[in-house]
Amino acid sequence: MRLALYQIDAFTDRLFGGNPAAVVPLEDWLSDAQMQAIASENNLSETAFFVPEGEDYRIRWFTPTREAVLCGHATLASAYLIFNRLDPERDRVAFQTRQAGLLTVRRLKEELALDFPAWPPHPVMAPPALAAGLRSVPQEVLASQRDYLAVYEREEDVAVLAPDLAVIAGLDRRAVIVTAPSAGDVDFVSRFFAPASGIPEDPVTGSAHCTLIPYWAERLGKMRLTARQISARVGELSCEHRGERVTIAGRCVLYMEGALTL
Amino acid sequence: MRLSLYQVDAFTDHLFGGNPAAVVPLESWLPEATMQAIATENNLSETAFFVREGDATFGLRWFTPVAEIDLAGHPTLATAYVIFRFVAPDATELKFRTMKAGSLVVTRRGEELAMDFPARPPEPCTVPPSLASALGKPPIKVLASRDYMAVYESAADVASLKPDFGAIARLDRMAVIATAPGEGDVDFVSRFFAPAHNINEDPVTGSAHCTLIPYWAERLGKARLKARQISARIGELSCEHRGERVTIAGRCVLYMEGAITL
Repeated sequence: MRLALYQIDAFTDRLFGGNPAAVVPLEDWLSDAQMQAIASENNLSETAFFVPEGEDYRIRWFTPTREAVLCGHATLASAYLIFNRLDPERDRVAFQTRQAGLLTVRRLKEELALDFPAWPPHPVMAPPALAAGLRSVPQEVLASQRDYLAVYEREEDVAVLAPDLAVIAGLDRRAVIVTAPSAGDVDFVSRFFAPASGIPEDPVTGSAHCTLIPYWAERLGKMRLTARQISARVGELSCEHRGERVTIAGRCVLYMEGALTL
Repeated sequence: MRLSLYQVDAFTDHLFGGNPAAVVPLESWLPEATMQAIATENNLSETAFFVREGDATFGLRWFTPVAEIDLAGHPTLATAYVIFRFVAPDATELKFRTMKAGSLVVTRRGEELAMDFPARPPEPCTVPPSLASALGKPPIKVLASRDYMAVYESAADVASLKPDFGAIARLDRMAVIATAPGEGDVDFVSRFFAPAHNINEDPVTGSAHCTLIPYWAERLGKARLKARQISARIGELSCEHRGERVTIAGRCVLYMEGAITL
């Protein structure tokens, strides 16, 4: 069996920026073992598979080691492929998921906009290992159900962090988001560390913005925000706070199109 | 600019086995920064680039996701596979000129491709006390070349190792090879740990066999040996000891062919 395979850089307007995802459009589902083997072979943070269902699609995401509950950048990349190659008449696509509800993506001018749940952060008692793991004391620590959110005073503080990843991996939440106001032309910057999930630092993390957007919307008193994830590859995101939901928008660039043979 | 990109599983006869490498044929060399960006984007252990210099002579360079490297076995086997299949189907012997590893010759032998590599026989060494505890099980003997080579009594001992990768990374050599006699038609088995180079366990390691072949050839009193690297993906290697040189042969399977746009 021959299947199309695409690799797309998400949340960037230039090749080799953003976060790369593999995308495999299917007519019918493969076995879980086959999808896992393809994702392991690709060795990217996520490989997305989608199948037509009614008017829209059903999507699943696999890391090199397991199926993922929710993945923003691979969803953006899948929508990019549908809008630009598979069904260019559309300007909206909905993806059914197993555990993350219905995810819709709209085509704006140059950007694609994800409609995701808001996961606002709450103040927490920071474990002492958090500042030790980050090797720098944050101004403020909050948390969502999933991640710690460590807030710093300046962009420079976030840019220079060199965390002790073994300590971060031992914390009681899945990952650590670090953030600060931008020194430049966007509203806020961030970085994302998830060593316990096999990702020392993620280049661009859609789902982290489910937490970042409510925080910065309230702090800055504005609903529309621009964000930059200042990893080595750099991600650019246009955000909007809408109460229970957030909009996370960005551009994509096609790196590779190919065919795999099972 | 549009370039071809192949992904090949090396040292296996079945898809999703062996060690995956990316191979990019070029008309002329790209800037190093561009080759590095492609290798980083691919995120496989190695991406090989080659340029044809004569009928069956090719320039060859290898990049990991972070740097160019001096020598790599499985991407060389994968490159030879791509050339025999797509570039020079009538050739039976290919010569690769490399930056730092001299000339490497690969010949076609039926279904297998055979690489001519230098022998790096292991020698007695001072054994750091942390080696046995890092491996989690004391070996019956430790020798060293570029890497430590820990010899165990049975293949089951090697299969059951669960190393402490932090401790392995702190040793004073690049990597640790674990090996033991094989069973059935296999003369010896091995595994390869190089956490200091961001490879906790390599699926199949051609260069480790530069050291394994002289050791097992002498111990078993035979020059031709069948080897299996018992990682999760499993590698199969046909080996020959030839004094200063070794032959390391194996099969390849094409996973993906595609095109990238720069």
